[in-house]
Amino acid sequence: MPRPDAHSLRIDAHVHVFARASAEFPRETSDWLPPDREEPVSKLLKEMEAHRVGRAVLVQIGGTSLEHHAYLLHCLKTYPRRFLGIGLIPPDIPSAADHMDRLTDGTGVIGFRLSSLGGPRDPLDRIDIREFRTYPIWKRAAEKDYVLWLYPRSGEAHLVPFLLEAFPQVRVVFNHLFICPGKGKFSIDAKGRPRVDTPVPPMTRYATMRLNQYENVTGHLSGQYAFSREPWPYRDLAGWHSQLLRAFGANRLMWATDFPWIAEDPGYGPLTRLMDELLPDLTEHERADIMGGTAQRFLRFP
Amino acid sequence: MTRPTEAQRRQWKEEGYLVLQDAIVGDELRRLQAAFDRCAAEARPGWLERVEAGVQSAMFFDIPNPLEKDEVFVDLVDHPSWYGFLMDFSGDDLIFLAPQVRTVPPSPVSYVGWHPDVPHTTPLHMKVQVYLNDVGPGEGGFAYVPGSHRKGAGPFPAVRRIDSMPGQKVFTGRAGTAILFNSYGMHTAVDNRTPVPRKSIILIYEKWSRERYSSQRFAAIAPLCATRARRKLFGLEV
Repeated sequence: MPRPDAHSLRIDAHVHVFARASAEFPRETSDWLPPDREEPVSKLLKEMEAHRVGRAVLVQIGGTSLEHHAYLLHCLKTYPRRFLGIGLIPPDIPSAADHMDRLTDGTGVIGFRLSSLGGPRDPLDRIDIREFRTYPIWKRAAEKDYVLWLYPRSGEAHLVPFLLEAFPQVRVVFNHLFICPGKGKFSIDAKGRPRVDTPVPPMTRYATMRLNQYENVTGHLSGQYAFSREPWPYRDLAGWHSQLLRAFGANRLMWATDFPWIAEDPGYGPLTRLMDELLPDLTEHERADIMGGTAQRFLRFP
Repeated sequence: MTRPTEAQRRQWKEEGYLVLQDAIVGDELRRLQAAFDRCAAEARPGWLERVEAGVQSAMFFDIPNPLEKDEVFVDLVDHPSWYGFLMDFSGDDLIFLAPQVRTVPPSPVSYVGWHPDVPHTTPLHMKVQVYLNDVGPGEGGFAYVPGSHRKGAGPFPAVRRIDSMPGQKVFTGRAGTAILFNSYGMHTAVDNRTPVPRKSIILIYEKWSRERYSSQRFAAIAPLCATRARRKLFGLEV
C-alpha cells in the first residue's frame, strides 16, 4: 500500500475515480461516462506519487444510490490514510438522514455534495429554509458534523446565506472557485470534460464573496479548465483567484485538480504548479495552506 | 434652485454626506413609487431568466433603462431638492452618468462590502440615494464612513462583517429621504434581515469633464431635455 511521504500535507481536495460499470461496482452510465470507461484509483495514486501529493478527497460520481457508491467505498477502505470521501444523496429519497448515516458509518465518507438546494428561485419570494428540499440534509449535517460540498446553480446562489445563517456549525466547502453555473451553461468539451460557459468573475459573486464572514465556509481553487477561455495556466482567471484570496484568505482555500478531467490536458503535474502561476505572490505559509494545510485542518484528515 | 447653507457646505466638505429628509413627499412620492413598482414588475421575469442563466445577480435588481420607461425618473435627475446642492459642490459644472433603480431582496448578507466607487484621480464623483420605502435599522439601509472621502483618509480595515467597520454611520429614513454622498468615501448597503426588499434609486453624477461627455448616452430622452442646462447635465451638448 502506498504511504504518505514527507510531503503528505499536499492534499488534492477534489478528485473523481470510477470503475467500469459492473456487478461489483454498479454505476450510472451516459455518453459522458460510458460503461467501459474507467479512471481507477491506481491511476490517481500514480499521479499523486509522481507529484508528491499525499492525500486526496474522492468525490462520488456515477450515481446517488448506496449501491452506486461501491467503488468509492472500496477505495476508501483500501486506502484509509490516503483518502476521505464525499457522497451524493438521491434527490427524491424519503429519508436523507438514513442515507447519510449509512454512507458515513465507518467508511471514510465525511460529507455530501449538493448541486441543488431546493428553495425558491425568485429572490423576492418569501424565504423559509424549513421549506427547502435540502433542509433535512443541512439539519442532519449539523447534528452529525457532516461536511457539505456545495456546487449550487446560479438560480439558487442567493439561498446559501440563509442556510449558513441557520447552520453556522456545518462545515461548507464551495466547489470550483465559488462559481455557480447558470442554467444551460454546462456542456462536454471535445476532450470529454465538463465545460461551463460563465462570466468570470461570476455574477453570483454578489451572493458568495461576503460568505467570508462565516468561519465555517471554505472553497476550492479548482476546475479552472472548465471556466477558462485560455489554455493552462488559465491566466484569465488570475484576477478572480486574487479576489478570492483577499476575501477568504489562504486558510479558507483549498487547491484541487478535479482529476481525471485534467489528466490529459494539461496533465496532473502542471496542476500542482498552478497556484504558483496564478497567485505568484503567495507567502510560503499561504501556499502551504492552499496546497494542503487548509484541507487537513478543515476536513480533519487523519 | 436651492443652494446648501454654510453649515451644509461644511458638513459636505468634512463628512462627505448630507441627508435630506422628505426630499420627495406626497403625490410626487406616490407617483414615483407607482412607476417603480410598475416598471419593476414588467422587468422581473427577464431578470429572473438572467439570474438562472448566471448572467445577472440575484442579490439586486435594477430596472433596465428606467429613464426611457417613465418621465418621473428623468425628473429626479435635476430634482429641486438636491440639484442645487450638486451644482454647488461641482462648481456649477455637473454631468449625470447613470441611474440605478434598484430593488435589493432580503438577505442575511449584503450584496456588497465596504468600498469607495472611484479613486481621487477621478473628478468629484457624487451619488444621491433616494429611499422608496421606509428603511429602519437592519433593513438594508445605506451606510457611510463619515470623513472617509478626504484625500489621505484611511487605511480602512478589510472587515468581513459590515457592522465591524469603525466609524460607520447607517442611514435609516422614511420613504422619500435622499442621501447625498461623495463617492470617494467608503460606503455599502447593510444586511437586510427583514422579509421586505429595499427599494431605492441611486443617481450617479460627476463634475463635468470631457472624458465623461457622451452625446449618445442619453440620446433616447433628448426630447425631454429642452433647456440648455438639462442638455448639458445629460451630456447631450457641451
